[in-house]
Amino acid sequence: MAQDKPRKKVSRRKFLVRAGLGTVGVMAIGTYVFRNPIRREVLEMAETLVPPYSGSGTSANLWFEVLEDNRVRLHSPKVEMGQGAFTGLAQIAADELDVAPGQIEVVAAATDSGVVDAMSTGGSLSIASLWQPLREMAATMREMLKNEAAKQLGADAGSLSTREGIVFSGEGSLTYAEIAAAATEWELPEVPELRAAAQYQYVGKPVQRVDLAPKVFGSPIFGLDAELPGMLHASIIRPEAVGAQLKSLDSKAAADMPGVVKIVELENAVGVVAESYPQALAACRKVKVEWDVPKRWAEEDIRSLLQVGKGDKMVTQKAGKAVSEEDGAVVSLSFTSPIGAHAQLEPNGALAHVEEGKATVVLSTQVVGITRNQVAEALGMKPEQVNVVPTYLGGGFGRRLNTAHAIEAALLSRAVGKPVKYMFTRQEEFQHDTFRPPTHHIVKARLGEDGLLDALEHHYASGDVAIGSLIMPSALHQVLGTDIGAMRGGNIMYDNIPNRRAVQWHTSLPFATSWWRSLGLLANTFAIESMVDEMAMRSGQHPADFRLAHISEEGAGARIKAVIREAVEKAGYSDEVQNGRAMGLAASIDTNSPCAHVVEVSVEAGEIKVHKVTCVLDCGLAVNPDQVRAQCEGSILMGMSAAMHEKMTLHKGELQPTIYGPYQMALMRHAPKEINVYLLQGAEVPLPVGEPPLGPIAAAIGNAVRRLTGQRLTDLPLRMG
Amino acid sequence: MAQLKLKYIFPALLLIGGLLLAAPPASPLDTSAPDGLPPPTAGNDSYDKVMSVLTHPRCINCHPSDHLPKQGLEGRPHHFGVARGAAGHGFEATNCNTCHQNENNDYSGVPGAPHWGLAPASMGWQGLSRAEVAEALLDRSRNGNRGYEALIHHLTEDPLVLWAWSPGVDAAGQPREKPPVAKEAYIKAVKDWFAAGAPIPR
Amino acid sequence: MKIAFTINGRAQSVEIEDGNTPLLWVIRDQLNLKGTKFGCGKAACGACTILVDGEAVRCCSYAAKLAEGKQITTIEGLGTRAQPHPVQQAWIEEVVPQCGYCQPGFIMATAALLEKNPAPTDEDIDNNIVNVCRCGTYYRMRKAIHRAAALQAQQVAVNPKNQ
Repeated sequence: MAQDKPRKKVSRRKFLVRAGLGTVGVMAIGTYVFRNPIRREVLEMAETLVPPYSGSGTSANLWFEVLEDNRVRLHSPKVEMGQGAFTGLAQIAADELDVAPGQIEVVAAATDSGVVDAMSTGGSLSIASLWQPLREMAATMREMLKNEAAKQLGADAGSLSTREGIVFSGEGSLTYAEIAAAATEWELPEVPELRAAAQYQYVGKPVQRVDLAPKVFGSPIFGLDAELPGMLHASIIRPEAVGAQLKSLDSKAAADMPGVVKIVELENAVGVVAESYPQALAACRKVKVEWDVPKRWAEEDIRSLLQVGKGDKMVTQKAGKAVSEEDGAVVSLSFTSPIGAHAQLEPNGALAHVEEGKATVVLSTQVVGITRNQVAEALGMKPEQVNVVPTYLGGGFGRRLNTAHAIEAALLSRAVGKPVKYMFTRQEEFQHDTFRPPTHHIVKARLGEDGLLDALEHHYASGDVAIGSLIMPSALHQVLGTDIGAMRGGNIMYDNIPNRRAVQWHTSLPFATSWWRSLGLLANTFAIESMVDEMAMRSGQHPADFRLAHISEEGAGARIKAVIREAVEKAGYSDEVQNGRAMGLAASIDTNSPCAHVVEVSVEAGEIKVHKVTCVLDCGLAVNPDQVRAQCEGSILMGMSAAMHEKMTLHKGELQPTIYGPYQMALMRHAPKEINVYLLQGAEVPLPVGEPPLGPIAAAIGNAVRRLTGQRLTDLPLRMG
Repeated sequence: MAQLKLKYIFPALLLIGGLLLAAPPASPLDTSAPDGLPPPTAGNDSYDKVMSVLTHPRCINCHPSDHLPKQGLEGRPHHFGVARGAAGHGFEATNCNTCHQNENNDYSGVPGAPHWGLAPASMGWQGLSRAEVAEALLDRSRNGNRGYEALIHHLTEDPLVLWAWSPGVDAAGQPREKPPVAKEAYIKAVKDWFAAGAPIPR
Repeated sequence: MKIAFTINGRAQSVEIEDGNTPLLWVIRDQLNLKGTKFGCGKAACGACTILVDGEAVRCCSYAAKLAEGKQITTIEGLGTRAQPHPVQQAWIEEVVPQCGYCQPGFIMATAALLEKNPAPTDEDIDNNIVNVCRCGTYYRMRKAIHRAAALQAQQVAVNPKNQ
């Protein structure tokens, strides 16, 4: 039984959560009247900014519960989707709360807990954004327990000490659970002084993941594992063709199928509710649906829509002069990246139970608060009538920043008056993803007489990433005139180049495109870093020296240079082809975390093989170095998969393929046998780690292939011509 | 009406004949007899039927000439790097039966039949001409030392071979294409061909 | 129809309307063993891998009626927290899982591999472990598979009856 004593009679005074710089949205309002140069400055800031946590529930007694067995439950506003957030948060809390991380049980906060994240779990910000508020909250909680213990022990609070969940005085001791059980009223103190780095016992240590055992022994922890008594199952029929509209529906034959409870027409979709999931699937095959397909989109249609020079233009970076079209000294290369699927292993879905005046939705989501609001609005309820219960996520990667399907589960539940669990089929998952948009890039470069770049321009076209997403304030696009998601990695970090341009061309596509882990970073870095390496070769210079010469010591410059130096040194970088293998270098900076990779590549029977990756990431304070490494390894693999294997295409109006296998992804056999990760800690606070290492991987591989074969590959996925 | 039709059919036949004559010789699928050899026999007609089945992807995909099973009408390599393994049934732990059972699965679209697996490497037919397939089929050093009777049994009674006429649906739920000759006609053609001495037209 | 089999060492019989129902749904929804995952329903990702008579089987594509009389092991029956299977022990020591959704399937496929091949080479691993992991834990998984093989060899050396 949980002790909710700390929630009793607490004074409602909220204590301060540091406001920091304010969110991107706040800044945007201030820039509304400004012209482009100021917009650009704001954009550059937005790119490197770590937005602070912004959500409700800023009171320690909402975040923490002391349990009877003297463990502490932490209601995390951030969900666990593999990134290791729960472990890092437990470590951070443990150091201020004076408990062992193993004593902390981290759960994803349901909206009725009062801890509601107004934004999302994303942007690699779980640890970075909660670093300050969570320590403040945990330290406050510790002081509350101490003050209460002082009363109970009749001692002076200043004379008490805390260790492993116990308050000690000279004479006696009380466990946190004992204190909580005896407490009648809590006093909320001012935020105490936080511990210095030298005092950390757990932060900075490779503490074992808190979710390791449930994941190794098969505990039911994911959204699709959820159950409620009397629950029914649902599958939804959606159009296979892009832009298709429901024309006619004949559900008679399906209604007679075994186990079918109800067939419900939804918005441009048909829901089939049955007693079991296979029954729902079988019945779906009997539903006769006709679709109006106004246009059968083809791959070429998308490519012609999405081109540098088409759509909304925004100069996102500008220094010096633009290069002239007639300048014969300018080298210009064109790059592309394809439509990418999230392909997370746990299909989307939601378990919803709509009752009179209230609703419960259990699901894997990165947007707990937004999903609550969406469901409430669809049901005509107030947000507080809806409880969204997030579970562990079977992968997020940005896919679950849009979980509007919770609405459909709720509507189906309301239609049958029972709890309904709705699950995507894998085909639905592939055809109704919120895809990584395809991109097109033109990079122009010119060498000066000194053999260094005197001009570099990155012109990039992308579909929606941030635009249209509920996470971003809706006015943001209009205000900034750019898609800040597509912009990630789009600006040029080589600030010593006198003439620089980054120009975004934005076009909304006829199918949904949105957040995909690292956003524009993967493709933008592929284009820029391929070109920079190409120019280093043409200039006859070492690729690291060439890069270093173009970066100043200003801003993050010194830290970018440090990761490049470290990567080439640790990898023993060489320009020479040895034993049929060549090395490739690339670097990027994302959300203020610079990263450089050196890869070792061979080409055997036309197939590119990556043998070894040396990764250097400056992640600031590494709360859990082992899990930062895990994020680097995972980013490298996911980046390799996108860079070398994956591609969605439009075929006769349908997004294809619709299953793993035909949608080729990196498998065990493609994983490098050696991945060495080195962490630099060039900041005193934790910086984002879950996406920055994706940046340089495609370019590093392409650069190695160029040095090995002479071929400059310019299209993802990388295939030998 | 019948008169009218015949009037058109005859010139059409002439036209087709002309096209055939104009076609380049020695295409692997070209079974027309070269000059100087006896005219087509009943055995040759059966041969054509049998070979149109044996060279169809439903059959040839599991008679690869390399170590990779093939999939689809285009005969591309099986996804996930699946390969022959030691005994033609995949690798030791992940093998054919990890996914393929002894019958089709309509839920997944994964095909299945008893002893699902690859034909022995010596029976690799992919890329062979019809005549070469027939030679391989009849060659006791390559066909598992099978005589006519054993071959007829394999070709007309083995449930894995006959699966080709009940291939189920694919992963998208669409029916798989069957071989171009109906099962009964094929079985009769196999028997007729062997009865005629299994001639291979040259 | 009624189907009787042994699951995780326990005799079990289930009543299902359609014997072609994938065994996955019987395991997950009728027997309430949620460790076996639905990833694709097409035997493509391997998240639903279980052992049937000791062989790795992707049960989203395995008709329930085929389970009659079979010995079935799911992740819940492989080992316990007190007595983990060597593969699970290795997975913990190498801290393999990230999101964790694909992991039961990989663990079961690896258990099947080590049954057949107690000392797999990298190539054996590449050939046999063809499940899909989106978080990209392959690098740690390979290390864990080698470690599991070593742990299993130690156990066999200590107590040969275990083999």
